Amino acid sequence: MSEGRGRDGVVGADAVGELAVGGQVPDFDLLDHAGNQRRLSQLVGGDPTVLHFYRGWWCPKEQAFFRRLVALQDDAEVAYSRILSVSIDSPEVNAAFRAGLGARWTFLSDPDRQVQTQLRLRETTDTLNDPYVPAVVVIGPDLRIHAVYNGYWYWGRPTVDELVKSLRDLSRALRPDWEAPTP
Amino acid sequence: MSRCWLALVDGPVHGADAAASARTLDGQPAGALAAWSRAAKPVREALRVDERLIDADGAAAWISLVLPPPGVRLAFDDLAVQQARRLVLLHPFPAAVSTLLRDDSHFEGAITVARSAEDEQRLRDDPFARIFPSRLLAVEAGILGAVPAPTGPTIERYGSGNPWPWDQFA
Repeated sequence: MSEGRGRDGVVGADAVGELAVGGQVPDFDLLDHAGNQRRLSQLVGGDPTVLHFYRGWWCPKEQAFFRRLVALQDDAEVAYSRILSVSIDSPEVNAAFRAGLGARWTFLSDPDRQVQTQLRLRETTDTLNDPYVPAVVVIGPDLRIHAVYNGYWYWGRPTVDELVKSLRDLSRALRPDWEAPTP
Repeated sequence: MSRCWLALVDGPVHGADAAASARTLDGQPAGALAAWSRAAKPVREALRVDERLIDADGAAAWISLVLPPPGVRLAFDDLAVQQARRLVLLHPFPAAVSTLLRDDSHFEGAITVARSAEDEQRLRDDPFARIFPSRLLAVEAGILGAVPAPTGPTIERYGSGNPWPWDQFA
C-alpha cells in the first residue's frame, strides 16, 4: 500500500491494528504533556480531530511527519479542528519534544502501553523501544473513525492535503450550518 | 454564551457568587476579586469571563490580571491578541486562563491563574501582558478554580461571544 491507499483503492482506507474506517476509538485516559489525566472524548469535544500515534521523538520519520502537522496547525487553529499526538514517551519527554517542535496541541503519554495493547499498535519489529506503529486517524466527536492512514512505511502517512480533505468532509457532516446562510 | 462576570473591586462586594481578597506580591491590599453568574452586568467594571474559571471552593492562587487603560480596547481578532493566544497554547499551561470581554468582538483583558511556584514565575511573562499592563496579585481561597488546557491548536472562540479558551459550541 502507498500514499494511504487501501486495497479497495480508497485513499485513507487502510486498517492498522484495531483502527479501521467506521470503527470507534476506545475512550481512553492518558496523561498529557503536563502530567494531567485526560480523557479522549473530552479532548475531542465537538470537533473533527486528527489523532496521531507515533514512535517517539528519536525517529527521523516522526520528526519529518511532525513538520507536516506543525504546518497543518496554522489552518487547524482557525478551523475548529483539533490535533492529538500519542506515544509511549513520558510526559516530560513529550513536553520537551512539543516545545522544540513549536506544537500547540496536546501530546499524550502511554508509557505502560495500555492503549497501545488495546489498539494492537505495538511495532513488533522494534524490540528495543516497543513503540507505536505510526498511524493517523481522523475522528469525530463520537470517536468514530473517518479516515485511517498506516504510517509504518513513510509514504503511507497522510499529506496535509489529505488531512484537510478528511477534515473538510467530516466538518461538512458535522456542522449543521455548513451551507452558509444567504439571503 | 458565558454570563459569568469578574471584577477587581475596591470597596465592599455585594451579591457576588464568589469573592476573595487580593494583595500585591509585596503584601499591599489590592481590593477583592469577585465573580457573579447572572445575565446583567453587576458592577460597572465587571467583564465576562470563562465560567469554568470560577470556583467558590478554589484554593488560593496568584494571578496576572491584564486590563486595558481606561477607554482602550482592541478587536478580539487583532494580530497581537491572536499571537498571545498562540503563545498561551505553546507554553506550559497555567492552572487556568480566560480572556475578559464586555461585548462579542473586543478583547478587554485576561486573567491567568497560577498555583505552583513555577507557574507563578511564568506569570511574569504572561503573553497577554504584551498587549495591556498586567497586575500580579495574590488572591485568597474562594474564587478561582482550575481549567484543563484546551486540546489545541484552536485559537478561535466557540460561539463568538464566549471568552477564549472556551472550547465547545454548546
